[in-house]
Amino acid sequence: MLAYFAKRIGMMVVTLFLIITLTFFLMHAIPGGPFTSEKMLAPEIEEALNAKYGLNDPLWVQYLNYLKGIITLDLGPSFKYPGIRVNDLILDGLPVTAKTGFLALLCVAALGIPLGILAALNQNKWQDTAVMMLATVGVAIPSYVVATVALYIFALQLNLVPTFGLDDWRGYILPVAALSGFWLSFIARLSRSSLLEVLGQDYIVTAKAKGLHPLSILFKHGLRNALIPIVTVLGPVVANLLTGSFVIEQIFALPGIGRHFVLSISNRDYTTIMGITIFYAAFLMVMILIVDILYMLLDPRIKLADRNK
Amino acid sequence: MTQSPLLKVRDLTTSFFTSRGEVQAVRGVDFDIHAGEVLGIVGESGSGKSITCMSVLRLLKNNGRTIKGTAHFEGRDLLELSELEMRRLRGNDVAMIFQDPMTSLNPTLTVGEQIIETIIAHKNISRSAARERVVELFELVKIPEAASRLGAYPHEFSGGMRQRVMIAMALSCDPKLLIADEPTTALDVTIQRQILLLLKEIQSRLGMAIILITHDLGVIAEVTDRILVMYGGTAMETANVHHLFDKPMHPYTQGLLASVPNVNNIDGEKLKPIPGSPPDMLRPPKGCPFMPRCDKAMEICVTTGAPEFEIDDAQSHKSRCWLHHPDAPQQKGDAA
Amino acid sequence: MNNLNQKIDPQQWAPAKVDAGEAEFIAAPSLTFWQDVRSRLWQNRPAMFSLAFIILLVAAAIFGPMISRHTYFDQDLKLSNIPPILQLYEVQNEGQAATYFFLNSGNFKLYETTEDGELKSILRAKRKDLINKRHIYEFGERRIFVDYSTLPARIVDADENAIDAYGTKWNKTYWFGTDSLGRDVLVRQLYGARISLTVAFIATLVNFFIGIFYGGVAGYFGGNVDNIMMRIVEVIATIPLTLYVILMMVVLQSGFISIIVAIGTVFWVDMARIVRGQMLTLKNQDYVDAAKTMGASTWHILTRHLLPNSIGPILVTLTLLIPSAIFIESFMSFIGLGVSVPMASWGTLTSEAVETLRSYPYQLFFPAAAISLTMFAFNFLGDGLRDALDPRLRK
Repeated sequence: MLAYFAKRIGMMVVTLFLIITLTFFLMHAIPGGPFTSEKMLAPEIEEALNAKYGLNDPLWVQYLNYLKGIITLDLGPSFKYPGIRVNDLILDGLPVTAKTGFLALLCVAALGIPLGILAALNQNKWQDTAVMMLATVGVAIPSYVVATVALYIFALQLNLVPTFGLDDWRGYILPVAALSGFWLSFIARLSRSSLLEVLGQDYIVTAKAKGLHPLSILFKHGLRNALIPIVTVLGPVVANLLTGSFVIEQIFALPGIGRHFVLSISNRDYTTIMGITIFYAAFLMVMILIVDILYMLLDPRIKLADRNK
Repeated sequence: MTQSPLLKVRDLTTSFFTSRGEVQAVRGVDFDIHAGEVLGIVGESGSGKSITCMSVLRLLKNNGRTIKGTAHFEGRDLLELSELEMRRLRGNDVAMIFQDPMTSLNPTLTVGEQIIETIIAHKNISRSAARERVVELFELVKIPEAASRLGAYPHEFSGGMRQRVMIAMALSCDPKLLIADEPTTALDVTIQRQILLLLKEIQSRLGMAIILITHDLGVIAEVTDRILVMYGGTAMETANVHHLFDKPMHPYTQGLLASVPNVNNIDGEKLKPIPGSPPDMLRPPKGCPFMPRCDKAMEICVTTGAPEFEIDDAQSHKSRCWLHHPDAPQQKGDAA
Repeated sequence: MNNLNQKIDPQQWAPAKVDAGEAEFIAAPSLTFWQDVRSRLWQNRPAMFSLAFIILLVAAAIFGPMISRHTYFDQDLKLSNIPPILQLYEVQNEGQAATYFFLNSGNFKLYETTEDGELKSILRAKRKDLINKRHIYEFGERRIFVDYSTLPARIVDADENAIDAYGTKWNKTYWFGTDSLGRDVLVRQLYGARISLTVAFIATLVNFFIGIFYGGVAGYFGGNVDNIMMRIVEVIATIPLTLYVILMMVVLQSGFISIIVAIGTVFWVDMARIVRGQMLTLKNQDYVDAAKTMGASTWHILTRHLLPNSIGPILVTLTLLIPSAIFIESFMSFIGLGVSVPMASWGTLTSEAVETLRSYPYQLFFPAAAISLTMFAFNFLGDGLRDALDPRLRK
C-alpha cells in the first residue's frame, strides 16, 4: 500500500516536472519578449524590464531559476501587474473559484447520482424518460450557451438573480448551475447505465436468491459496485469544472482564478499563464490521487493487483 | 409415494417478452420433488430447465413473466406469495447455487460477509454467531484454513473454491430444498467431480432435497435419484435414474442417451447425434416440440402435443409421447 | 389426464410428412452484424433525424455561402442590428404608393422596406427630439413620431394616436437579420458551420490516423512498447484538454489554423486508449491465435481481425469526440482565443451576441441554437450508434 503510494507520488512529481518544463519552453518559444508587444515602451525601458525579470539570462538559467522558484512555491512575478506576484493572483481568485467549483461538484454528485439511480430503478418509465431527456439537453448544450441564456432570462428579464457578483446566495445560483450542468447530466447518465449494468449482474440474482432486503441489494450490492466507474470519472470532472470556470467566471464577472487566467491570456502575461497552468496541473494530480484512493477503498480487486506487483 | 411432495409444480408456463416477440421458454411443466430426494433436470441449452427453477423462485429478469401454473412448496403456492413472504423463503427454505461462480459472487464484498448477511437476514442470531457458523460451513464444504479465508474476496479464490463458497452460502440457513443450476459447467473437469461428490455427500449428511440442473448426463447418473428430461420448454419424460437409463421411452430421451458416450455400453456402437436443432421458442411447433427432429413422428404429433402417459408407477416413470397411446402402432426394436 | 385413452383417428398414426429441411428451419432470416446494426439504427428516430440534420448542415455549410448574396465580412453600418422578423408599418400618401417601414426596437430607427419584407434603406429622421424622447419622420405631408419615452417604443401620429403595425413579415434581405456591424447573420452562421464542421472533420482524421494507429501499435505489441507509449499518453492526459488547447493557442496566436493544430495534436489521446484496450482484449482471442497459426502477417491480423472487431467502440468514441471538438473550438472562440475577426465561428457569434444582449437579445438565438442543435445531433447519433452496435445496452 505505502509502496504503491510512494510510487504514485513519484510518478506525479515526474509528470508535474514534465508539464512545468513543457509549459516553460512553450511560453518561451513565443516570438518576441513579453514587453515587445507594447509599442509605448522605449527600447531602454524594455531593456531595463528584461534585465529586471532576468530575461537576458540564457534560457537554461531562467529555467533553473523558475524551477527553484517552484520548489519554494513561488510562481514568480506577474509581467503585467507590477509588484504583484502570480501567487497573489491565485490566492486572490482561489476563494471564489473554490467556492463555486465546490458547490458545482456538490451539485454534480448530490443531484447527478440520485437522478441516475432514479432513472435506472424506473427503467423505461416516465421518470427514466424525463431524466434522460434532461440529461441529453444538459450534455448537448454548451455551458456558455446555458450561462448566457440563463443570464438573459433569470437576471435580465425576470430579475430573480443578480447579473454579476457573489454578494448574496442568489448570485451563486446561475454560475453554479451553468458550471455543473454538463457534468451533472453526464454523471446522471453514467450512474444510470452503471447501475443498470450492475443490476443485471449475476451476483445481484444471487443476492435476491439469498432473500436479502431490496434496499440491502440496492445499496450494498448494487450501488457500491455501480459507484466504482463514477468515482473514476470524478477526477476528470474536477478538472473540467476548473476549465469550465474560465468562461463562467467571465460571463458572470466573478473574480476567480479562471478570470485571472483568461485576462492573463489576453494580456499575454506569460508568467501568470504559466503559473496558473502549473497550479491547475498540480491541483488536478492531487485530485486524481484522491480519486485513486477512493477507488481502492471501493474496489478490493485493485489492492490485489498492487499486492501481486 | 404417500407423503405429499416438498415442491409440486403444475402447468408452469413462463414467457419472455422481447422486442422480437414472446419467447415461450417454459410451456406447462409438471414435476414433483420429495423431501430428501435428488432430482436431476436434463436438457439441451434453451430447453427451459433453468427458467423453470427461476420461475419457481420468482427470480426472472424484468421481461420474463410466469403466465400460469402453480408451484406448491410445503403446501403454499410460491407464485401466490407476497414479495415479503417470498423473501423470507429464498435463501432460507429454498437456496440456489448458480452456474458461474466467477460472476455469481459480489466482487467487492468479502466471501465471509456475503454469507454472514444471508444468515443475519433469516436467522435471529448475532454477527459473531453468524461468523462462527460460516467457519463451520467452510469446513463442511472443505475450504482449507476456513477461519482465515473469511476475510478474502472472491477473486482470491479459484473457480472450484468459489463454487464451494456458493455451496456454503446456499447451505447457510439449512434449506429444505437446494436448487443447483449447472453448478459444475463453468469448472474444470477434475473439479466438476469434486464439487458433485461434495454436493452428494452434504446431501446425505443433511438430508435436504436437491434439484440438479445440468445438460451433462454423466453427471446426473452418479448423483441423482430421479431424472426429468426437458425439451422445448416441456417435461418430456421422468423416471428413477437407473430405470430411465435402462428403459428410455421417449424418442428424445433415447436420442439423447444414444448421443453421449456411455461406459456401460462398450460394444463399439457409434454415437448418434440427434439431427436438427432445438425449436425456436419465438414460434414453437404447434404439436410436440420434438416432432421436427423425431424419426418416429406421426401425423398427430404435428398438430397436438402428447399428454403424459404413466409408464411404470413403481419407478415414477412418465413420458409425453403419442407412441405410448394404446392405439399407437408398435415400434420395431422398442424395448417397451 | 382426461385424453389419455381418447379415441384417435387412425389416420393420425401415419408417419408425419416432415420436410427434410424442416428440422433445420430457422425462423428469422439471419442478418449480418452490419445489416442488423443498420436496421436498428434506421429504427432509431432521433438518430436518423440527427443524421439528416448533419447532412443538411454539411450541405448548407458548403453551398450556402456560395449562393448567398452576402459575405461574412461585408459591413453595412447603416443596416446594423436588423432583426430577422419585421413589424411592418404602412404609411399612405396622397396620390403616391404606400411606404412600408419597420421600427427597430433596439435603436428606435425606422427602415424602409417593400411590402413583403425586402429591406430598402434606413429612413432619415427629420428631427430628433431627445428631450421628449421622440424621433420625427416625414412622409410627404404626413408626420410620424417614434416615441421611446416609454418602452417598448411605439409609433404615433400627429394626434398622439398609436399606429398599429400593418403586419409581421420575415426579413427577406437578411433572413437571420444583421449584427452590430450590419453583416448578414445567416451567412456568418454558415461560415460558423464550416468552421465547426472542419474542426469535426479534423478531429475525425486525427483520431483515425493518429489515435487508432497509436493505440493499435501500443495494444498489439504490448510489453515495453505499450508501457512507454501509454506513459506518454498518461502525461498528456493529465493536462485537461481545454487547458492544453489554450496553451497552444497562446503560443501559436489565435486563428483558425492554430485551433486546428491545437486540437489535432492532442485530440487522439482518448481514442488511442480505447483502441489499445480493445487490442489488448482482442489479440488474446482464439481466432487471432488461429490466424497466427495459419501464418497470417502482423499487418493482416491488424487490418483483417483486430481493427474490424474494434470498429464498434471506435465509432462510438468518435461520435462522442466530434461534439467535444466542436465544443472546444466554440469555447475557445467564445473566450476570444479562437478564430480571428472578421471570421465567424459559433463561439464568436455567441460572444458577440452577449455584448448586445440587453438591446438585441434575439441575436443570441441563432448561434446558440446552431451550436446546441449540432451538439444534440451528434449526441443523438452517437447514442443511436451505440445502441445499434450493442443492443444489450438498450433493452
